[in-house]
Amino acid sequence: MKALVFSEFPEMAAQMVTYLKKQGEVDAATAGSKADALSHYGAGKVYSLNGQMQFDNVSSWLVETYKAGGYDYLFVASTILGREVAGAASQALGAGIIPEITEFQAGQSNAHTKRYFLGGKTVLEEESDSKVFTFAPGIMDAEKVDSQSPVTPAELKQSAVTVVSVEEKQSSGVNLEKAKVIVSIGRGVGKKENIAQVEPLVKAVNGELAGSRPVCLDYQWLSDERQVGISGKKVRPNLYIAVGISGQIQHIAGMRGSKVVIALNKDKSAPIFDESDYGIVGDLFQVIPKLVKALGA
Amino acid sequence: MVDIIVLIKQMPDLEQVKPDPTTGEPQLKNVPLKLENLSENSVEEAVRLKEKYGGKVTAIIFGNEQSSAILKKAYAMGADEGHIITGFKGNNPSLTAKVLGEKIRALKHDIVILGNQSADSISGLLAGKIANHLGIPLLGNANSIEVSGSTVKVKRALEENNQIIQADFPVVISVTQEINEPRLPPVMQIMQAGRKPINTEAATLTGREVKVLSNKAPKSERKKMVFEDVDKGIAEIVKVIREESR
Repeated sequence: MKALVFSEFPEMAAQMVTYLKKQGEVDAATAGSKADALSHYGAGKVYSLNGQMQFDNVSSWLVETYKAGGYDYLFVASTILGREVAGAASQALGAGIIPEITEFQAGQSNAHTKRYFLGGKTVLEEESDSKVFTFAPGIMDAEKVDSQSPVTPAELKQSAVTVVSVEEKQSSGVNLEKAKVIVSIGRGVGKKENIAQVEPLVKAVNGELAGSRPVCLDYQWLSDERQVGISGKKVRPNLYIAVGISGQIQHIAGMRGSKVVIALNKDKSAPIFDESDYGIVGDLFQVIPKLVKALGA
Repeated sequence: MVDIIVLIKQMPDLEQVKPDPTTGEPQLKNVPLKLENLSENSVEEAVRLKEKYGGKVTAIIFGNEQSSAILKKAYAMGADEGHIITGFKGNNPSLTAKVLGEKIRALKHDIVILGNQSADSISGLLAGKIANHLGIPLLGNANSIEVSGSTVKVKRALEENNQIIQADFPVVISVTQEINEPRLPPVMQIMQAGRKPINTEAATLTGREVKVLSNKAPKSERKKMVFEDVDKGIAEIVKVIREESR
């Protein structure tokens, strides 16, 4: 199997390289300025793409390279740009596409894949002659190797889309994908001011603070880079503490990879308890101080 | 005046989907279909653009015989014309793109609006596919849309930055959930929507085959030790936290 992978984020491309190289030869492409970061993960070749990346110029470069390089499969990390690029590339290639895969096994002529479906309620196991796949982020940790991949620069064509301006998001530098311990809050926290009462727990467990979609996007108590869920970050910490999170499937799909899950919730029937190793039913603002005290003792 | 096509889809009401206790397969029978979440945002945005700039909103759904209720919802929200293409047999983005792409080609369009990633299949591929099929620019993941003359400017929300991007008609725009708050149509409009004509045709294209080996609720292998006695729970949990947060 010969695979071409692309992500504008080198860490995601590195995850795909790590996952796929056990099954064959893998070349990887990423943004020009970040290509060196991708050259330590065992890719046969790293392409560094120069130019303003948009759906059209990236997909046409991928399609040309895929054809010229004799690749069997094209993998794109599922990001906003990645999904657009993968869609356009599969259409241009006239190839089947399976989105959001979490597992891939190349067969004789068909590929065997798994992905979440129905908003994360089910796992769909499929077999197809698809050639293009988007990979759900956070499938595994990228592993560095001793050798270094050669970096080949490539120029992207002019896009039909004009970029008028770019405004960097205010970043707190939080990286939930790398966090070992995450304390995640949901609607049950009640109001933004109450987050202050959760923070001692975050500190006591040396964790990162995260939140569900309502908390991050609807109420904006936390910035969107802290959102865990199917439309946010997919995380795999050693310990995930869900505070006042009911456990909507969209949230579960973002934290299923956690090693140990603890839930604190006042509602005994909250679905989060089914997705937890340990749970305490009780008022958050009574449980948390007690827990923090016990941890400090 | 802007000719807007809005692509909508139907999905099962996920709140009501439960796995079969023995097989783990989702029980979709008798689960009502609804207008997919981001399709609702898409219709809302199309109607707002029409209200602001004048023009016409045409909704297209690749669905089945049950899709007229979904289309009527789009009518009630303000869509002027609607087309149902029957023959949808399941999630197959390549076929959906071809079917919708051919229909769009046959209609006047300055802007094609759709959701960036649907709430059920979460594939997010259709915007790129449609744009490629039609050979027109995609302004993706839009948080806001502004039209001046035949140029469209959108605020594109990316993971690490926001971009203002623009292109000339015709364009495809995919929208985010945050772009608007869909309206609740007044009863009068809902009643009028019921009487509006619906254009129905059958899809003639077919797609390549994807073999579904299984579709089951993932089994939770968690320990599920839930304590209602807070003190007992804390004693247990403290041990776990000490172990895992070292």
